[in-house]
Amino acid sequence: MRANPEVLILEDDAETLDELQDHFARRRFHPLGARSASRALSLLENNRYSSRPVLAIIDWDLGKAPDRSASSGDVLSRLARELRECPVIVYSQNIDAFNVRSQIQRSHPRALLHDKRDGDASLLERIDRMLDRTVGDLRIHDGTVVVHLPSLDQHHHREAIRLVVHHPEIVTFHSDTATKAVRRFGEWLHTHNSAVRLVSHGNRKYRLSVTASEGAAQPSDEA
Amino acid sequence: MGVTDAPWMLGVRAPDRGRAILVVTVDGELAVAVHDAVPGGMAVIRDARSEDADEITAACIPWPWMVIGSAVSLTPALASVLRHRPVLTYWLGDPAAGLPGHARYFDRPAALLDAVRRACVADVGGMRLAPGSGVELDDGTLMRGATLESLVAAYPHGFALPTHNFRAVSNALARHNAGWSAQRDGACVRLVRSHVGAAR
Repeated sequence: MRANPEVLILEDDAETLDELQDHFARRRFHPLGARSASRALSLLENNRYSSRPVLAIIDWDLGKAPDRSASSGDVLSRLARELRECPVIVYSQNIDAFNVRSQIQRSHPRALLHDKRDGDASLLERIDRMLDRTVGDLRIHDGTVVVHLPSLDQHHHREAIRLVVHHPEIVTFHSDTATKAVRRFGEWLHTHNSAVRLVSHGNRKYRLSVTASEGAAQPSDEA
Repeated sequence: MGVTDAPWMLGVRAPDRGRAILVVTVDGELAVAVHDAVPGGMAVIRDARSEDADEITAACIPWPWMVIGSAVSLTPALASVLRHRPVLTYWLGDPAAGLPGHARYFDRPAALLDAVRRACVADVGGMRLAPGSGVELDDGTLMRGATLESLVAAYPHGFALPTHNFRAVSNALARHNAGWSAQRDGACVRLVRSHVGAAR
């Protein structure tokens, strides 16, 4: 059994939030949508022991939020402290302003930035590029499986997806179950003679590495 | 705006074992530029002010790989780390008192950012920084250790620190037959080709 991977979405505009949630639901992710930072913090708290989102989309400016008791910076800080391995995209109308960028990066040093003025379609395209990633001879399909392209064999586990989404960065796993799943994924890569291998950095930290001949052609993306 | 009312909770203060570039400035503008200059996944940029530089320094485990500063004084904990650990130290503008002998100084941001980029992609006889942490050898072997990361990135420069700080690195390089060791060269200890081992 497997659950669809969760995506946290914090967006104060109801229409945009619906659009984002629909987008992820169509792709078989489970969207955790919130119009306020306090609601997003509750969702993180409620899912703390059951799952960990594979992606978070955060609107920095929450002027339309129904509840202003917490800020997007609070959510980013929580994500940075407790879900460091979760990729985060922050978007804002003022993303070019260095003081806004500095505030975001102090809240979450690993956050990826996106310009809201480019429109929702641009954000969705970027998200799709992240989630449809090809790394070496692996590709994520529908957000739920990793496909070994030469054999078309599939590996179903959210931790494998997390590693591919995160490539080339290190991912820290927080339970024995997760690290066992990661090691099984490493064995799966080995038995499939994949160009991608699992690298252990100790202390439950892993990353994927593409062998040089294959890797030379690979974008080390996240565009 | 999204600014938190709880600065002590900021993610930049969260402990992390990943390779870290600590940028201490008055307003964060240089940290934003450093963020843009560093290849993705290579290091986390920690944007600090004087008032939280000590806490953020302590959150970089075991210590910051690189410290960049401009127009600020050294805080006590940061000064101590720079005096005792091999930390790449780049300074823009007038030097702060107490910087180590191996600190490098820059008049222009562009020159500093270029040096940061070059440190990230350093290649010393096939030894390169792996994304996030560690040093990769040509054969794919991953060697862990903050001191080795610093020596590779600083090459051909080194660190004005006691030799004993680098013994473990020299031993590890010898075990891997890397053909390099950490040796004193004048005031600094730096990587040099060793006479034994298969030079890569």
